[in-house]
Amino acid sequence: MLRAVFRVGAVVVLIAGWVTACDGGLAPEPICARGLIGLCGTIHFRGSIPDSTDAVFVAAYLTFPQTCNDLINNRRPVIPGSVPYTDSAAAYSMALDPGTYHWVVAVWKKVGMLHVSPADTALLRVAGYYRNPADTSQPGVVTVPKGAAAGDVNFVAHLDSLRPATDFVTCTAQ
Amino acid sequence: MHGTIALLLALALSAAALAAQGSGGARLHGTVRDDQGAPIGHAQVGVRGTTLFTRTDASGRYRLAQVSTGTVHVRVDAVGYAGVDTVVAISADSASVDFQLRFSPLTLAPVSTVIEKLPHFGERPATSVAQVSERDLDRRAVNTVDEAVDHVPGIQFVNGQINIRGSTGYIQGLNSRVLLTVDGVPMNQGDRGGIDWDLLAVDEIESVDILKGAGSSLYGSAALGGVVNVTTRDVPNGWHSRLRFTGGVYADPPYAIWQFRGSPGLQGGADLSASYGNDVAGGRIALGDRHSDGYRQQDNDDHFHMAGKTRWEASPGVRVDISGAWAVNRYDVPLSWCKRGKCDDRGQVFQPFKIDTTERGARTDSRKGYIAAQIRSTLSPQFAWQARGSWLRTHFTDIRSTTEYGVGDRFGTEARIEAHPDSNRSVLVGGEVTFSRVASDIFGSHTQAELAAYGQSEQQMGNARVSGGARLDFLAVDGGSLTAVASPRIGVTIPTDGRGHDGGVWRASIGRGFRAPTIAERFVHTFALGFEVIPNPNLRPETAWSFEIGHTTGPLLRFLRLDAAFFWTEAHDLIEPALLTPSDTIQLQNVVRARLAGVDATIIGAPIPRLITTLGYTYLSTRRRLAGDSTTGPLAFRPRHLLTLGADYAVGDLDVGADFRFASRPERIELEGFVDPRRVPVKVLDLRAGWSRGPVEFRLLVANALNYIYNLVPETLAPVRTVTLTAVWAH
Repeated sequence: MLRAVFRVGAVVVLIAGWVTACDGGLAPEPICARGLIGLCGTIHFRGSIPDSTDAVFVAAYLTFPQTCNDLINNRRPVIPGSVPYTDSAAAYSMALDPGTYHWVVAVWKKVGMLHVSPADTALLRVAGYYRNPADTSQPGVVTVPKGAAAGDVNFVAHLDSLRPATDFVTCTAQ
Repeated sequence: MHGTIALLLALALSAAALAAQGSGGARLHGTVRDDQGAPIGHAQVGVRGTTLFTRTDASGRYRLAQVSTGTVHVRVDAVGYAGVDTVVAISADSASVDFQLRFSPLTLAPVSTVIEKLPHFGERPATSVAQVSERDLDRRAVNTVDEAVDHVPGIQFVNGQINIRGSTGYIQGLNSRVLLTVDGVPMNQGDRGGIDWDLLAVDEIESVDILKGAGSSLYGSAALGGVVNVTTRDVPNGWHSRLRFTGGVYADPPYAIWQFRGSPGLQGGADLSASYGNDVAGGRIALGDRHSDGYRQQDNDDHFHMAGKTRWEASPGVRVDISGAWAVNRYDVPLSWCKRGKCDDRGQVFQPFKIDTTERGARTDSRKGYIAAQIRSTLSPQFAWQARGSWLRTHFTDIRSTTEYGVGDRFGTEARIEAHPDSNRSVLVGGEVTFSRVASDIFGSHTQAELAAYGQSEQQMGNARVSGGARLDFLAVDGGSLTAVASPRIGVTIPTDGRGHDGGVWRASIGRGFRAPTIAERFVHTFALGFEVIPNPNLRPETAWSFEIGHTTGPLLRFLRLDAAFFWTEAHDLIEPALLTPSDTIQLQNVVRARLAGVDATIIGAPIPRLITTLGYTYLSTRRRLAGDSTTGPLAFRPRHLLTLGADYAVGDLDVGADFRFASRPERIELEGFVDPRRVPVKVLDLRAGWSRGPVEFRLLVANALNYIYNLVPETLAPVRTVTLTAVWAH
């Protein structure tokens, strides 16, 4: 009788061991916050930080902007928050509506007040943007699925080769 | 070095002189076999209450010299067999007696004569011991000693540093509170005091014995938390050779986002050994090579080793052993796993299989070797002496952003006398000198000398066996003033029933242990985690009082056996890193007073024929208190719960087995706030199977079969699932 109890006990212990080992352990931990609907990733900074730096933020566009108006008015989010830029890299995440975004860009901002108008481009420079992994000369396209986040949207921001908006869009007035 | 060579020569000359003088007494010889007639190797054969003991060779043969004529009381013990205690009548110069042992899985392994420095003839020691037998080593098909010892209840390896009941924690290889001996010769590094577990190939090892608790009364410094003795294979009579091939594959990361290479990592190696011996002398050489791709980024490891051993039985009762080994390693060092932004993190907070790109190219070149000579002379059944000399060299070069190197030499000599005035009493006295010399760009050039004298006696007092002894150590650094440390110990064992050596026994012991600061701890000057690490030449030795009371039952219900011990250690002046402000530097200091207490229990069961199961559980409660501060908390890297489960089933030529290890999440780590604090419990399942017939043996091992992903120290991934096939041919 006791032997039978011992055998059953041993089997139970082994199964318990098996089951507990199947659970837990280290697991992937995305930089994207859980529950986020939008996109996230890491910006790697290159170059020295200009003295006049006020902020670096990430913006996304459903279609590639053609004009300065597009650049300001179609920006998502309309008023982005800054990401930390003093380390060599920073994780970022941004809430966005589901959809396909054709330009995800890191924008450097000079000290000064923004007015959500084309004149803002005088204070803004393009520091870098997410690139197409298959053709890095082209912007990458990111799809934010419904109810989820697009992760791994990583790119480099070059703080010592900031580019004006006119390198990308046509501005009739600033 | 010249001193050691001179000592080795002196030992050889002593042996020659003893050989010339000859000896008296009768010879007892014969074989030890199981009830099927198969020889039992490594069985202990001894004459009770005397200096006379030996081990059988692989053919089960033994020889004892200096035996008194008349009736003698002979004791034979072997792992997994019921011991035999019998009276033998010897009337001539030579007598032949063959022994047959009955298979008995619940019988406790015989106590190592090396680790206790005295033969025990079936009596249990006053302190807990454990053994990893040759069969365990074969069955587990592991490549290094630490992989095998890691399964012993109450023991946990933390990134290569051994913890016996939580002794060491993790101090980044800078010391060990456990002493490693190889055939009784201390082998902790001369500079860092740590242990090179790959100094010897596992194929060269016959068994590993572990003393849990303070062993400083016999072994001095570093034996604060216990002693691990590795017994190398003896040289049997006749020609023998052994070939071992091993090959394996590492599992890929279980999540695609963690993938870091296109094809699985591989490992493989080969070991070859050959020996010849006769009744007078014998020798053995071995060499091997291993390569591993590793299981993570930048984890390649190349390892070459060679070893040799000779024995010379200069005359009956006089034996000289000379052994040595040399190992060369070149391994990549994945210093820490990648945190966000420090590599291609693929949108992850951390990438445990990848490294920080700034640590690319970090590697270590390591060379280590030893040579040791020992002589044992049994002058009579009542009197024997033993002496040894050894030299251990370690040489490392760390290639990082800057290159660091260290060369450590440890020279050691010891002489001891063993006396058995009567059959119920034994006395051991000895002296030991150790000299360490270091040349390094991070430790500087320094020396440390340790001089010691020790004595121990065991006495049968009615039903109880009482042992007591003490050791006095004197330490001197760079020829400076001496620091003295005394390490006494007393112990008692009391049988609890009338089944003799197979019955239950109570044990209790209390002893003081110590560990001298290593040269590395005193003088290290380097940078770690962005902080400057500054020397502290004024470090004092760590000391600890350890108490233990335990009970081993006799067989319960014919299929169970229980061993349980309560242990309590009060440690003073433990050396741990401290962050100094406002200088923002790290310095090793005697900052901690600590308590380690708990329960260590093991159940062995044989519920059905051919099935052996083990369950080991250790509960550990630790507390630390900083000097001059009432702050308390647990010691770092000590899990509160350790559980090991094991089962082995054999049928015919086949055997299968499994081990499961659980360790709870450590409540505290060092330098929290400066490192990634992520840590999880350990839950590792190993599966194994083997087939052997004649000289051929195949072993399949699936280590971490569930590919459980965990870490034992911050930012360092523990091994993933590894499937290894080992083939052995022995002749």
